[in-house]
Amino acid sequence: MSLQIIINGLALGSVYALIATGFALIFNVLKFSNFAHGAMMTCGAFVGYFLAAGKGFGLFPTILISMIAGGVIGIGGEFIAFKRIIANHSSHIYFFVSSITLGTLLEGIVTLKVGANFYNYPRFFKVATINIGNIIISKSDAMMFCFSTMALLLLWYIIRYTKQGRAIRSVSFDRDTASLMGINVESVILITFFVSGALAGLAGVFLGINYTLYPTLGSLVVKGFIASVIGGLGSLPGAIIGAVFLGLLETLLIHTVGSGYAPALTFSVMLIFLLVRPQGISGSNIQEKA
Amino acid sequence: MKIIVKKCVTVFFCALVATLGLSAQGNAEKSDSEIVIGCIQDTTGPTSTMGKMVEEGALYAIDEVNAAGGINGKTIKMITYDTKGDVNEAINAYTRAVSTDKVKAIIGPPIANIALAIAPISEKYSVPIIGLGVDPKCQQKTDGTTYKNMFCLQPSTISQGTIMADYAIKERGCKTFGIIYNESNAYSVSLVDPFLNAAEKAGATIVDKVSYNANDKDFKTLLNDMISAKVDAIYSPGYTQEIILITQQARALGYKGDLIFGLDACPPFNTLLGEDADGIYFINNYDASDPKLVSIINDMKQKKNLDITNKFFLGYDIGKVIAQSFTEVGTDSKAVRDYIEHLTNFKGMTGDITIDPATHFPTGLKMVMYTYKGTTPVMLEHYSAD
Amino acid sequence: MAYMLTILTTTLITMISVVGVYLLTGMTGMFSLGQAAFMAIGAYASGLLVTKVGMAFPLACIVAVALSVGVGWLIGMPTVRLRRDYISLATLGFGEAVAALLNKATKLTGGASGFVGIPAITTFPMVLISTIVIIAMVAMFKNSKFGRQCSAIRCDELAAKAMGINVPWIKMVVFLFSVAVTAYSGCLYAFYTTYVDPSLFGWKKSADWVIMVFFGGSGSLTGSILATIILTGLPEALRFLSDYRSIFYAALVLLILNFKPSGLLNTWELTPRNIKSLFHRTDDVTGSMPTKKPMKN
Repeated sequence: MSLQIIINGLALGSVYALIATGFALIFNVLKFSNFAHGAMMTCGAFVGYFLAAGKGFGLFPTILISMIAGGVIGIGGEFIAFKRIIANHSSHIYFFVSSITLGTLLEGIVTLKVGANFYNYPRFFKVATINIGNIIISKSDAMMFCFSTMALLLLWYIIRYTKQGRAIRSVSFDRDTASLMGINVESVILITFFVSGALAGLAGVFLGINYTLYPTLGSLVVKGFIASVIGGLGSLPGAIIGAVFLGLLETLLIHTVGSGYAPALTFSVMLIFLLVRPQGISGSNIQEKA
Repeated sequence: MKIIVKKCVTVFFCALVATLGLSAQGNAEKSDSEIVIGCIQDTTGPTSTMGKMVEEGALYAIDEVNAAGGINGKTIKMITYDTKGDVNEAINAYTRAVSTDKVKAIIGPPIANIALAIAPISEKYSVPIIGLGVDPKCQQKTDGTTYKNMFCLQPSTISQGTIMADYAIKERGCKTFGIIYNESNAYSVSLVDPFLNAAEKAGATIVDKVSYNANDKDFKTLLNDMISAKVDAIYSPGYTQEIILITQQARALGYKGDLIFGLDACPPFNTLLGEDADGIYFINNYDASDPKLVSIINDMKQKKNLDITNKFFLGYDIGKVIAQSFTEVGTDSKAVRDYIEHLTNFKGMTGDITIDPATHFPTGLKMVMYTYKGTTPVMLEHYSAD
Repeated sequence: MAYMLTILTTTLITMISVVGVYLLTGMTGMFSLGQAAFMAIGAYASGLLVTKVGMAFPLACIVAVALSVGVGWLIGMPTVRLRRDYISLATLGFGEAVAALLNKATKLTGGASGFVGIPAITTFPMVLISTIVIIAMVAMFKNSKFGRQCSAIRCDELAAKAMGINVPWIKMVVFLFSVAVTAYSGCLYAFYTTYVDPSLFGWKKSADWVIMVFFGGSGSLTGSILATIILTGLPEALRFLSDYRSIFYAALVLLILNFKPSGLLNTWELTPRNIKSLFHRTDDVTGSMPTKKPMKN
């Protein structure tokens, strides 16, 4: 039975990982927590829904177009809410306040369009589970796990080995110096928002396939946030490790102490992390620059 | 440059303050040819799906009344007040409705928390609030007397929980139950104890009782124990988004038994869920094969592309009750309140409504147990709510 | 009239909370995403003390505020030593945990169905006087030695440390002060609405307060007060927009943040001297509108 719990935890963790990575990417470059990420996921999820249910698109085109749509929404969000703040070199809190407001704005628009009903994606899989002995794995969970792994590997490759990736890393390290070195900081920030938005779109479609669609679906972003704190704010591998850890921790806690006390205990774990290892599991480059 | 900015800000402020002041005055030019009623709903926020449905239903009823010539030559005008699912907003909205807009009656929310918050304040006024707060605390003070203005037009959680338990035990022969409910949701919590008490009274055992929180998405771990204990039925009074996941995940874990859900499993739940809907038993307010209902369902689908739920018809009935009371006793809100308190045999979409003055709940209102065979809803049995 | 009074009372109660957030965010640059949880503790503790223990209302308020300060101290202890934004993380988790515990403790708090039966004690004059007293206290605090040390921390924590300011100590004092103020607003709130439920105190509420502080200008107490009036009044004024209301609200806040990033009033305060200089416009701007850039990390 315990193996089943681990599998459930991994499935949950991979959802959190997708959310946390998009989140961590923005933090990596601009050093703020983008609370509009949740609303961006919701937008991506609904775009995917209208493609799949309304236009009869298959799984892959749906994912692809939702990712692009998510990316475009990300860039749009940057334009509306962050562009001028970046230009002003304002404090992080401004980003935070702006991102929450952007989230409210997007959520308001979604509610206006679809507020009165629930929506479900059409079925993409015939048999919904894979049984190995006693262990039951839901097919969409497995899909989700594979896709998040693939997306994250791709992201890691881009960031690690491509020119754009190097630019992103250097901007995240020091924006001014990077700009002096001839990197077009503005376009790097735009790319970051596009990628983060695309990840939000992907996460949205998966949330839609696995769960039900409704306008406040994005409130799940808090879990991604906690995951990236545990993993170390701003670190991509940290966000993934933190997310999987959070998924496992939650399922384990639910199994042992029940759901009621699980949030309180999760919080205690987070506080312990802040106390013992404030940089998170793998964060290292986030020391305060005076 | 600085001064320009400063001036702009000053002008902006003056404009804002003026707007605030004006809006507080309310729309003073109210024509005599209109009767104004209020509709306090969550049209945005986490429970917008329900609030919007009630609003649509009430609007449909009012439009029907107005199209048929209104009340003694006057038309009814409904103002919707959004509460965002926030108690504080609801109190502001309520106060505005009764003191500034001077509405004659209020269509209340389907969310118990909002009704609970408005209830004590409503004592100061005499405008009836006809809502759907199924938690008996919405209508009843702690000393057992009723809040004079609070009414509910559907059976209480006690009746609903008991009906579901009775049905499961007597008709389905279930002996062991697992209960999974949302701990952060008043509606869900209030449906647990009545079911539990009725089930235990009838000799069934509750094998496992677990709870989850609003943002939880993984129920497999919670369901594990009750499924391996091979319970006959799983009872889960939750909101639509949750019970969909619970069904899918329980079925994925190989659970073959019955699933018993509350009102939120009504169609179009089956279209959301597909084949997994098979074997779900749920309670509903009406018999959906009634041709009058079917025509409205089709009409709404055609006009607004809305898949309407039972909340729509509850809203519709409230609208009709209010309209009828206006025709019977005029538009004095106190008279309307008294009329509604003694409402008898109102023929509504959700059944024949007679309000019990002692509890402000309808007495003897029928509830219907349903199941899904494949994806088609099948009506099983009528129950009287006592 | 009743409507105006309702709006005014709720606005003033919110104002007390926002002033609490101003203390924390405006003065030191820390911000809390769990501030509403302290309001919840204030509300539930005072409510329980009055209804279950039979304590007098003022005494219950004092005990509830003391309790929140105690809890705040526990949360603050590990976090004040860390970088400023960590306090937002810790308080976010704390807020969610408090909501979960309130839901769990059904016997005591009524759980998700909410806490009913709190007597209606809070009156408008009481709220008005409380607000004035608290604003005065905060204004005095701002002009004290503490306040100036806070500004130093806000501008540059490292430099402040180098100047011999005991940074963790100052942060702790400010945090606890703001917790006390917020908890007190919770007491007033519970005895005004007579009903509270855990969903009222989520992180969104705390975020709303932070937004108000920034809307008004994070360096200005007057700005926070003004922003509270506008941003709590605005949704009421915009009722006619129905579903478009929250979109309009969000768009307005975004506009201000983008085009006037220092907030409505930047660091301008309503003092007799500044009012005078408003009318006798001189080129001397040192007293009224410092041309300082918005606070940098």
